[in-house]
Amino acid sequence: MWTFLFRAILQRLVLLVLISMIAFSIVHLAPGEPSEVDPNNPRMKPEDIARIRAAFHLDEPLYLQYTYWLRDLATGELKSFKDSQPVLPKIWQRFLNSLPLFICATLIVWSLSFPTGIQAAIQRGSPFDRTTTFVAYALISIPGFFLSYLAIQWVVDVFNVPVIGMRTFGMENAQPVFRWMDRLWHLVVPSLMSAIAGIAILSRYVRSQMLEVVRQDYVRTARAKGLPEDAVIYRHALRNALLPFVTMFGFLLPGLIGGSVIFEQIFAWPGLGRLGYEAILARDFPVILTINFVAATLTLVGTLFSDILYAVVDPRIRLQ
Amino acid sequence: MAELIHTATFTAETEQPKPETPLREAWRIFQKDRLALSGLVVLGLLVAMAVAGKVLTEWIIIFDPATVRLPDKFLPPFSAVSADLIPALNHPLFGIYLLGTDELGRDVFARMLQGSFVSLSIGFIAVGISVTIGIILGGLSGFYGSVKLGFISVDTLIMRFTDIMLCFPTFFLILTVVALLPPSIYNIMIVIGLTSWMATARFVRAEFLALREQDFVVAALALGLPESRIIFRHMVPNAIAPVLVSATIGVAGAILTESGLSFLGFGVQPPDATWGNILANGRGFIFDAPWLFFIPGVAIFVVVLAFNLVGEGLREALNPRLRNR
Amino acid sequence: MNLKRALILTPLVLIAFLLQSYFWVPSYEKQSVGNPARLQTYIEGSIADAKILNPILNADGASSHIVDFVFDGLLDMDENLNLRGRLATDWTITEKAYLLARPQFALPDSSLATGTRLIELVSLARADGRLSALDSMLLSTRLLPAGEKTETITLLEPDEQGRPKPTAIEVTIRIPQRIEFTLNTVDQDLFKRLTPLLGRAYFQDFPYTDHFVVAGPDSLEKVQPQFPALLPVAEHNPIILFHLRPDVRFHDGHPFDAGDVKFTYEAIMNPRNISPRTSDYEPIKSVEILDPYTVQVTYKRLYSPAINAWTMGILPEHLLNAQVLEEEMNARGLSDATRANFGMRDSDFNRHPIGAGPFRFVEWQGDEFIHLNRNEDYWERIPEYENYYFRVIPELLTQEIEFKSGAIDSYGVQPHQVARYKQDTSYQSFSSSGFGYSYIGYNNRNPLFSDKRVRRALGMAINVDEIITYLLYGEGEQITGPYPRQTEWYDSAIKPLSYDPDGAQRLLKEVGWQRNNDGWLEKDGQLFEFNLTTNNGNLIRSNIMTIAQDAWKKIGVRCNTQVFEWAVFLKDFINTGSFDAVVLGWSMGIDPDLYQIFHSSQAGPQQLNFVGYTSPEADDLIVRIREEYDHDRQRALAHRLHRVIAEDQPYTFLYVGLATRVLDKKIVLVEKEPDGDERYEKIYPTKSGSISFYFNKWRKLDRLELTPDF
Repeated sequence: MWTFLFRAILQRLVLLVLISMIAFSIVHLAPGEPSEVDPNNPRMKPEDIARIRAAFHLDEPLYLQYTYWLRDLATGELKSFKDSQPVLPKIWQRFLNSLPLFICATLIVWSLSFPTGIQAAIQRGSPFDRTTTFVAYALISIPGFFLSYLAIQWVVDVFNVPVIGMRTFGMENAQPVFRWMDRLWHLVVPSLMSAIAGIAILSRYVRSQMLEVVRQDYVRTARAKGLPEDAVIYRHALRNALLPFVTMFGFLLPGLIGGSVIFEQIFAWPGLGRLGYEAILARDFPVILTINFVAATLTLVGTLFSDILYAVVDPRIRLQ
Repeated sequence: MAELIHTATFTAETEQPKPETPLREAWRIFQKDRLALSGLVVLGLLVAMAVAGKVLTEWIIIFDPATVRLPDKFLPPFSAVSADLIPALNHPLFGIYLLGTDELGRDVFARMLQGSFVSLSIGFIAVGISVTIGIILGGLSGFYGSVKLGFISVDTLIMRFTDIMLCFPTFFLILTVVALLPPSIYNIMIVIGLTSWMATARFVRAEFLALREQDFVVAALALGLPESRIIFRHMVPNAIAPVLVSATIGVAGAILTESGLSFLGFGVQPPDATWGNILANGRGFIFDAPWLFFIPGVAIFVVVLAFNLVGEGLREALNPRLRNR
Repeated sequence: MNLKRALILTPLVLIAFLLQSYFWVPSYEKQSVGNPARLQTYIEGSIADAKILNPILNADGASSHIVDFVFDGLLDMDENLNLRGRLATDWTITEKAYLLARPQFALPDSSLATGTRLIELVSLARADGRLSALDSMLLSTRLLPAGEKTETITLLEPDEQGRPKPTAIEVTIRIPQRIEFTLNTVDQDLFKRLTPLLGRAYFQDFPYTDHFVVAGPDSLEKVQPQFPALLPVAEHNPIILFHLRPDVRFHDGHPFDAGDVKFTYEAIMNPRNISPRTSDYEPIKSVEILDPYTVQVTYKRLYSPAINAWTMGILPEHLLNAQVLEEEMNARGLSDATRANFGMRDSDFNRHPIGAGPFRFVEWQGDEFIHLNRNEDYWERIPEYENYYFRVIPELLTQEIEFKSGAIDSYGVQPHQVARYKQDTSYQSFSSSGFGYSYIGYNNRNPLFSDKRVRRALGMAINVDEIITYLLYGEGEQITGPYPRQTEWYDSAIKPLSYDPDGAQRLLKEVGWQRNNDGWLEKDGQLFEFNLTTNNGNLIRSNIMTIAQDAWKKIGVRCNTQVFEWAVFLKDFINTGSFDAVVLGWSMGIDPDLYQIFHSSQAGPQQLNFVGYTSPEADDLIVRIREEYDHDRQRALAHRLHRVIAEDQPYTFLYVGLATRVLDKKIVLVEKEPDGDERYEKIYPTKSGSISFYFNKWRKLDRLELTPDF
C-alpha cells in the first residue's frame, strides 16, 4: 500500500514537471508579447519597454525564466504581468468564485443522471428510453452559448429577474437570508446551463453501464431467485454498475477550469475560466502557466484519488 | 440410412441462410434505428450541401457570399432585393434573399452554403488527425507495448504521454494555443485534432491488447506473417468499430468546439465563413435580425445532432455484446 | 425500495430548492424604480475590468475611468476643452532661457563672445531698439558663473538577441559661463531674435569635446551624439508656477500639499515603478516646492503639450513613500530577490487606492465589480449619487439585456443599438464627436503605395458616407485629417476625398495600371494585389475591411483580407512594418502634437509611424507645433499640417465615431440655485463629447413623470 502510494506520487510529480515544461514552452514560444509590453501604447518609449521586459525577465534565456517561475511559484511570490498582484491569492479568489457554480452543476448532473439513466436502461427500447436518448443527444448538440442566450432572454422576459452576475447590486442592506437566496438564484441558470451537457453524457453512461450489468449472471440468478424487480435492479445491479463511476469522481476536478470559460463569459461570472481567458488575451504568462499547473495538479490528484477509491470499493483490485 | 442422414444433414446445412457478414448485420441493426437513419439522411444532405456550397460559392459563383449591399442590410428571410438601390450585377439569384441578409447586406444563404463546407471540413479533418494519431499511438502501445526503450517500455512511454495530454483542460488548451497562434483555419483543425486523440489511443490500445491474445493473431504470428500485414489486415479492421463510433461523435464535437472558439473570438476568421462564426457574429444582432442568430444556431444543432445520432446508432449496431437482444 | 425513492426524490428536492430562490430575488422593477437605495446608486457596465488603480501606472481605459473618480489632478479640461484648475487654483507660464558664452568665438563685430560681452551686446541692442520685440517679454538678464556637473545617462544597446538593453554611463560636463534670460512668457523665437547680434555660426560647431569627460574611449563614442542635448548652446526652460488649493484632504483625512505633487512626479520618474507616463514628464527638469501650496515646475526644453500631463491624478505621499513600501514588504515577508525589484507597482495601494477625488474607493472584486462611495469631504460640490458601481459584464448582448432591465444604468452602447433606443421614449440618447478616428493605413514604404495618387485613388473608391449611414447608423462623421473634429486644430475648410470610383480608375491609369482580361489591374505583368489586415474582436473594423475589399474589387484592385489577434497583429505586422494595408484607429488627445504618429523619425520598428510616412514639410510643422506656446499661432500651424497630411493621404481617413451614450430618461442634471432651490436640467454633452462632465450633478428621479419635458 505505502510503496504504491509512494510510487504513484513520485510518478505524478515527474509528470507534473514535464507538463509544466511543455506548457511553459508552448506559451513562451508563441508569438505575441505580454500586453504590458504593448508598444502601441503611444506613451511607451523603447527604454520603458526594455525596462518592463527586464522586470518580467523576458530578456533572459527560456530555462532561466522557467526556474524563476518555479522559484516564485514555490515561494508564493509569483506576480501577474498584468497588475503585478500575487498570482496565487488571485487564483484562490477565483477558485472560490467558481466553486459554488461547479458544486451546484455537479449536484444537478449526478442527481439527475442516475434516475434517468437507470430508468432508460430498465425500459430499454421503450418510449421513455427513446425520448431520453433523443433529448440527451439534442442537449449535447446545442452550442452552449446559443442555448444560454435563449435561456437568459426567456428568464428575463418572462420572470423579470436578473440572471447575470453573481448577485444583485444594491442589496447590501437587505437581510442576510435575502442576500443568500439572491446568490443562490444567480447560481441556478448558469449551473443548469453548464450541467446540461453533463446530464446528457452521464445519463447515457449510466444507461450503458446498467445494460452491461443486467446481463451478468448474478443478476440473472437474482431474478431467478424470484426477487422483486426493484430489488434486483437497485440492490444487485446498481451496486456493481456504480463501480466505474467512482473513478469519474477523480476526473471531475479539472472540469472546474476548462469547461466553464464560455458560461462564465456569458453570465459575467468571475471564475477561474475567465481569469484564464483574460490572461490569455493579455499574454499574462504567469497566470496562464499557474492555472495550467493547478489544473494538471488537480487532474493528477484526481487520478490518484480514483485509483485508491477503486481499490477500496473493488476487492478484486489490489494496490501494488 | 447412414447415407440418408448424412445427406439430410448436408441439405440442412446448405439450406441454412448464408452467415451474414458483420458489416451487413450491423447495417441491418442500424436500419432499425429510425433516429440514426434519419441522422444519416441529414448527413447525406449536409455533405451534398457542402459540396454544392463549395462549387456554387467559389467555383461557379451563383450564390455570392462576399458581395456587400449595404442598403439591403438586415432583410428578413424571403425578402426581395431593393432593385432600385442595388445594381443588377449584385442581385441574388431570382432577386430573393432566401435566408435574409446580414449586417453588411450579404446573402445569408450564400454564407451558410459556403460555411457548410468549411464547418464540415473542420470537423472531418480535425477528427481525421485525431483518429490517425490515436490509432498509431494506441496501436504501437498495444502491439509493441512490451518493447523496451532503454529503461522504459514503449507502452509506459506512450501511455504516460497520453496521461500528460489528458491533464490539460482540453478547451482551455485549445483556446491557449489557438489564441497564441495565428488564427488560420488549418491551425484550428490541427489544434482540435491534436488535443482530442487520447480517448481513441486508449481504446485502440485496449482493443489491440485483447486482439493480440486472440487465436487468429497468435496463429498469424506463428505463421511468420509480416507484422505490418498482421496489424493492418487483421487487427486494425477488428479494432475499427469503436474508432468509427468515436470519430462520428468526434466530428460533432469538433463543430461545437469551433463554434465555441468563434464565440470567444478565436474561431475561423473572416473572410472564411463557418456556421460558428456566423452564429457568433449574429448574436449581437439578436434583437435587430434574429435570423442571423437562429439560422446558424439551428443548423449547427441539427447537424451535430445528426452526427451524434448516427454515432449512437453505429455504437449499437457495432457492439457485439448488445446484439441479438 | 428506499434507494429507488431516494434516487428519484433527490433531484426533485434539489431542483425545488434551487428554484425557490427565485421568490427571494427582487424583480427588475424593484431594482430600477421606487427603491430609494437604488436611486442613490449608479451602476455602470463595462466589458473589461480595471487593471491597476493608480494614476501614474494605469494604461487602460477601465482603470483610468475609475482613477478619474478617485483622484484629482492639478488641472483638468473644462467643458470647452480649455485647461481648468482643480487641485491647483491657478498657474502662470514663464521662461528662463540660457545661452552659453564662447570666449574663443569671434562675434560679427569681431569681439570675443565672453559672458560680459554678451550681456553688454544685449543691453546695447535693447537700448537702440534692435530688440524691441523683447521689450514686453524680457524681464532681466544675468551672467551665471562656470561650473561642473556629473550626470548618468542611460543608453539602449542591443543585447545578444538584438533587443535593446539599457546601460548606464557617467559623464562629467564642464559648463562654461552662461547668460540667463528671464522672460514673463515663453518665446520660441528668442534666439532667432539674437542671431543678428551673434551670427548664425554661434549656434553651430560648439567644441563639445572640450567640455565633456567620459570614462573610457569606447563610451565617449557612444555618448558623443548626446552632447548637444546634454549641453545645449541655447536652451529654453519654460517654467510653470502652480498655486495649490489649500484645505483639500485625501480620503483618509490627510491634508494635500505641494509635497504630494513633487512625490507624484518623482514616483513617475523612478525607474523601479515602470510608469507608462515617463515620456510625458521626461521634459521636466525639476519640480521645486516654494511653499506648501506653491510648486514650480521647470522644463528642459520647449514642449507646449507638457502642461496637459498635470491633469493626471496626484498620489498621497504619506501612503506610498519608501518607508511605507518598506513596511509593506516586511508585512508580506518577501524574499530578497523580490524586495530588490519591489516598486509602487507591487503595492497593495493599487487595489485600494486613496486619492482626493469626488469618490472614495470601497471594494474591488476582480472581474466582478468596483464599488465607490461619494466623498462627503470633497472640496467642490459633493456628488448626488451616493454609490457608484463599475460592473464587469464581458458580453455585449448580456450588457444590453441588463441595461434594458434596469440593472445597469449605462454601458458602451453600440451604434445599431442606439438606433433602437432612439425610438424608445423612456431613454435619452446623446451623440457627440469623439476623439477616436478610423482609417486605412497604407505601408508607404511598399512601392505599390509609394505614389500618393495611388493612395488617393484607393480612398476615392470607398464610399465613406455609405459606411457611416449603414454600418454606423449615422453615428459617425467623415474626417479629412489627423485631428479630432471638435478640436480647433481640425481645419473644417478641407474637403474630403469625394467618392468617385471612375476618377479613381483614371488616377490609377495615370500611374500606369491597366485592366487585364480578368478585370484586375496590372502593370508590367504585376497584379495590383495586396493584403488588408486588422485585429479580431472588432466587428466594425472587420466590416470596414469587407466593404473596402468589395469596393476595391470594383476598380480592379485585388485585396485579400486577414484578421489576427491583437498581440499577433502588433508583433508580426505593425511593429515590423511588414504589412500592406491595415484598418485601424487612433484615439487622440486634445493636444495638437503628432510627433509620434507622423514624424519621419518615428518610422522605425516598434514606433508609431508604422506606415512610414515621410514629408519634410510635415516634419518641420510637427516640430514647430510642439514648441509653440501661443495658441493662435499653434492653431494656424496645425491647420497647415492638417492640409499637408490630407494632401499626402498616408491613410485613407474614414470617420470619427460619435461618442454615443444612452441613459434612462429619469436621470437628470440637478442645478442648485444660491438660495438652495433645485432645478432639473437635461443632461447634455460638452465639447469633449462626454456627457459625464457634470456627473457629480446627476440624479436619478423616482418616476418618469417627475422628469420635466425638456
